[in-house]
Order: sequence, then structure tokens, then C-alpha cells
Amino acid sequence: MGMLKVDFEFRKEIVKEDFSLNYCYQCGTCSSACPVALATEGEYNPRKIIEESLLGLKELLIKDQKPNVWLCSTCQMCVEECPQNVFLTEIFDILKNKIVQTGNYPEAYNIQGNAILEYGLAILLTTPIIRRREQLGLPIVESANIEEIRKLLVATDFEKKINTNGYSKTGKGEK
Amino acid sequence: MTYKYFFGCVIPGRLPFLEASARKTFEKLGIDVSDQTQYSCCPDPTGVAALDHKSWLALGARNLSLYENDNSDVLSLCSGCTETLKSVQHILNNEPEEKEEINSILKKIGKNYQGNINVKHFAQVLYENLDAIKENVVKPLTDLKVACHPGCHYLRPSEIIQWDDPFEPITLDVIVEALGAEPVDYELKKDCCGNPLEKSDKNLSLKLLQNKLESIKNSGADCLVCVCPACYQQFDFNQREVNKRYNTDYNFPVFYVTELVALALGFNADELGLKFHRIRVSDILQKLNV
Repeated sequence: MGMLKVDFEFRKEIVKEDFSLNYCYQCGTCSSACPVALATEGEYNPRKIIEESLLGLKELLIKDQKPNVWLCSTCQMCVEECPQNVFLTEIFDILKNKIVQTGNYPEAYNIQGNAILEYGLAILLTTPIIRRREQLGLPIVESANIEEIRKLLVATDFEKKINTNGYSKTGKGEK
Repeated sequence: MTYKYFFGCVIPGRLPFLEASARKTFEKLGIDVSDQTQYSCCPDPTGVAALDHKSWLALGARNLSLYENDNSDVLSLCSGCTETLKSVQHILNNEPEEKEEINSILKKIGKNYQGNINVKHFAQVLYENLDAIKENVVKPLTDLKVACHPGCHYLRPSEIIQWDDPFEPITLDVIVEALGAEPVDYELKKDCCGNPLEKSDKNLSLKLLQNKLESIKNSGADCLVCVCPACYQQFDFNQREVNKRYNTDYNFPVFYVTELVALALGFNADELGLKFHRIRVSDILQKLNV
């Protein structure tokens, strides 16, 4: 491994979004409470992600993704147990948002994002489900006007931020 | 204040029988809930928030504005939706700059966020109506041993969710007990089912599920109960996958808590669409004589 590069600007970017990062004193309570850290025998390690964030180790976090922040199950045990009130999962979302800008993230997230762009919902109703709803005496599902949702997502630049290659507004959403 | 449902994406689109059990239960209990038909994805706190914080916040605020406009509280059928809507409220009510920015976005679609309604998880509303449940039980679920799985976003982060105990959750056990069933304790009760990891690592997702199932097995439970469609899918759809991979023989029927309430209130298996469960529930129905 080459020399690690500390990027103070990167750390500032995270702190600007969530200043609770600065409260961390690296006690490791988060990792001991984390079911994924236990299941991966420490390969996934929330304390380490926070340490790298404090040091601004951008390349490790964003490019190499070590530890892999996408392995957080979002169970919030770390947030609950942290004695310093560090909002770890929110910091992880900041990192994930930054990784998304590089395009190097799990496809399942993209499928969901594109489905919302297309339908306003993450899951499209299939014919068997529509039939099943009828059998159960349930009403037809009505939801948001998709033009309104798209207008909102244009205002937040959602389409520019996520990968829409291979998806079209007339294609298929989540399978 | 009356309630309007927030159904979310997963229940109407994949698990409509859970919606049926909720509608029947709340109607029978005389709780005033109607439909809101302009909602979008909440959006998913485990998915969309990871893609883009601002879009997650704006879509969530739009959803909340619909209920504010209707002067209704949210009755959410999903723990993920509940967490998103409560978190969005928490952020916008505590950070004026974020609120201003989001409202300038909402203005483009003729909407506005104020922050003056309550968001409630359906299990909270059940818990708050325990007396009505007890009065309406006609088929007590006697001798049924139930392992309750509260799941993560029903409880945490407690500062935002403000419901039940994040370390020693009890509300579901109390509801199940009111039905005449016997809640059982187990070691990994507050742990994650593993569902969100399906998006990044299926093996790891199943490993967390297997840990959970082993703990439930040790408790001697007949079945398990959950209150989130993501957890439901993980337990009901992936139990066989765990058995294949780990050479185990878990076979726990999985119920939404509204299904157990509805059974105790006298609804039958056909009305509730219990045949759509992947892990068969017939042994349980036989045991309960319903």
C-alpha cells in the first residue's frame, strides 16, 4: 500500500453535512454493537469508517471502499449505542452519496432509483399482483402523478446524480 | 385528528394480503383511517437516502405535505416508511435552512411543508387501542408461542422514532399477549433480519437471517411476528434459501401482527389471503382451530 493521503477538505465536506463526526473518540462501541462486523469477523468495521472520515482518507473510503460502506445494514445499533452521539448512519449516507457520484456502487440501488424516476414508486405492480388484489377485495392502487414527481426530481438533480444508462422512462423498472 | 394510510411500495405491490389484514383490522376496531392516493415512494431509508440525500428529503417532505393538506395523521404500514417520514420531519423541524431549501423545491410543484402532523407506525396505533382489541377478541390465540421481531426501523434511532424501547422492545409482545397468545423471549430479538443487505451482499444478508432464525428456534416459538414488509419478505421468502445454504430445517410461519389480530378478531384464513404465505401456516391454523 502506498502512502495514505490526508485530505482535509474531504473531512470538512463531511463535517459540514454532519458535525457529529467530530465527537468520535474511537472507543469502538459501534463495532462491538454491529451485527455485520460480527458476521464478517471485523472486515466490515464502522469504527474504521469513522476513523478514515476523521482523517479525510478519501481514496480509501470512496475509491477503494475499504471498509465497504455498502455493507451497513442500516440497523442503527451503532447510532443507538454510541456514547458520543455520533450519527454514524447519516455519515455513511454522506459517503454513499459521494460514491454514487463516481458511479461505482451496487446496481440494486440504481434499479430502485430508476424505478422511482419512472413510476414514483420503487415497485411496479405486476398483472398477478393486480389480480391478487382483486381477489382480496382491495382497491386499485392510486399514487402520485409521475410528472409531478419528475419535476421534483429535476429540481434536486436526481437524474444527473444516479446512473440512468440502460434505463429509460419507457423501459422496465425494478424486476 | 383522523388517520390516512401510508401504504408504501412493498405492501401494495408485493404483499397485498398484508394490506388486507390491516384494512380489516382497523375497520373492525372502529379506528378512522382512509386512503391517501397521491403518495410516492416514502422514499426508502435504506436505498434512496444512500443515492441522494436531497432527493430523499424532498420526496419525503412532499409526502408529508399531502397529509398536512388533508389535516390527517399518517398511519404507516411499513417500518421503513415510518423511519423516513419521521426522520424527514425531524430534520426539517430542527434545521431551518434545510426546510427553506426543501420548501423552495416543493413550491415548484405547488406544495409546502409545515411540520404539523404526527407520523405513526400501525403497531403503535394498535398498542394505543389495546382495550378495543381485547373487547373484540372472539378467537383467542391460546397456547400459540410467538417470537416477536420488532425490526430495526420500528425502534431506532430512538431519538427520532420515539417509540418503544430500543434495547428491550416490548410493545409487540403486549399486543400478542392481548390476543391470548404467549410471547417468547429470545437472545437476538432486537437484531436486524438482514434484508437491506440483499442490495449489496446476498450471502451476508442470509447469514444475518440464519443467526436470527437459530435464536428463534432456541426460544421454542411456533411462529414469528413482524411489523415491516422488508422483514416479512426476508423471513417468509428466504427461510428456504437459508435451509439450502446452511443445511438447516427452519420452518417458522411468519405473520404480520395485523394478521394475528385479524384472526383473533374472527376473520378467516381465506379473507386474509393466508394461502399467499410461502411458509405454510396450516399447522398454526389447525392448532388454533380457526
